[in-house]
Amino acid sequence: MGKVIVVTSGKGGVGKTTSTANLGTALALLGKSVVLVDADVGLRNLDIVMGLESRVVYTSMDVIEKQCELNKALVRDRRVDGLMLLAASQKNNKDDMQPEQMKAICDKLRTTYDFTLVDSPAGIERGFRNASAGADEAIVVTTPDVSAIRDADRIIGLLQNVEIEPINLVINRFSPQLVGNGSMMDQADVLDILNIDLIGVVPEDSGVITSTNRGIPLVYEDGSPGAQAYMRIARRLTGQRIPIPDLEQKGLFSSIVNWFTKNR
Amino acid sequence: MNRSLTGATVQIDFQSPTLNDEEIDYLRSKLREDYDLIVRGVELGEDSASPPIAAAPTTHTISQTTDAVATRDGEPSRIVPCTIRSGQTEEFPQGSLIIYGDVNSGGEVRAGGDIVVLGTLRGNAYAGTNGRLSAVIIAMDFAPLQLQIGNCVNRSSTNQKPPGYPEIARIGPEDVIIIEKFVKF
Repeated sequence: MGKVIVVTSGKGGVGKTTSTANLGTALALLGKSVVLVDADVGLRNLDIVMGLESRVVYTSMDVIEKQCELNKALVRDRRVDGLMLLAASQKNNKDDMQPEQMKAICDKLRTTYDFTLVDSPAGIERGFRNASAGADEAIVVTTPDVSAIRDADRIIGLLQNVEIEPINLVINRFSPQLVGNGSMMDQADVLDILNIDLIGVVPEDSGVITSTNRGIPLVYEDGSPGAQAYMRIARRLTGQRIPIPDLEQKGLFSSIVNWFTKNR
Repeated sequence: MNRSLTGATVQIDFQSPTLNDEEIDYLRSKLREDYDLIVRGVELGEDSASPPIAAAPTTHTISQTTDAVATRDGEPSRIVPCTIRSGQTEEFPQGSLIIYGDVNSGGEVRAGGDIVVLGTLRGNAYAGTNGRLSAVIIAMDFAPLQLQIGNCVNRSSTNQKPPGYPEIARIGPEDVIIIEKFVKF
């Protein structure tokens, strides 16, 4: 029996879709069977980021309306074995879907695939409720800025209310330079506020923009720091224990000061 | 009444000996029957050699008014065993609130009495919602967005880091909320 994981954030633009695409591809590269579900009905993006937009024929809405079988609506990614996409309808809106219908789809996918990653839309309304309806676990994506963190905090509260467990945190667009000169929150600050388990830190990587435009997820190019971070998170999702590397570039002097203040 | 003290042994410590033996016996049996508290001893006057462990405070840095102390003791408290996250509100008009966690930015706690946060207060706290000006707000780390006690509002002026020790907010002279280091009651 596989796992259904909702990827969500509250705030828009923090990297939910990028994370879903990269984690799904990374899991498939690790030999898992994966299906990516775009739950952003009316504003679908995941097919573009995956480079599969030209091959989408049926959507989850067609499955719900019994226009086609679930298996027929899944688009196979030919670049890697065992990676499928279930696209969202672009012409409907979020109220056309019921949380129970999404749950039924997730329940079916869970029996066949190791991982079902549901890409949640931004917000806390129907779209989010649809996306999380069938989820066993959650990945909350945030960037290290106060507004994203407040929204992540709100989402974590809502996920805890419906008893989705565990809730893992991905800190995205982390910039060691900005943390180093004190203008960005560091990992410890973020974790202190959100108080959930950290599953990975993805550094700011300009390669994300080109990879999105080309429809090739970053993890296909091993070299970039973002790709390596996503590969590590995927390995952690499969149960491997990999330490989170310290991305924070601190000078020797501030490290010493830090050590003293922490061990007071 | 908070029932978590059931079965505890208590020491009664009077500052001024105004009760006679009969009254003390009544108090003893009343505490036993109503609250299941066992009275270990009664101390009268100020001649106690060694102060009992859980004795009533002698240095009261907050409000010295007697009515405040009396109401605080008599009212219920609610313990919230988790963090209050953004968008969540915890309200308890009947008495005081104790939070075993943080109150995050965007979260709100409102109590008729005091608010005690055994974590970091980053959101909004509103104590004394029934207009009680003697209510206080205590937090291990104080970084609130907005504080309100009775009808006095205090907005955080800067995005300062908490100083690393517990702090208390109360209404000081001229009806302004002041925040200072919390030592003890």
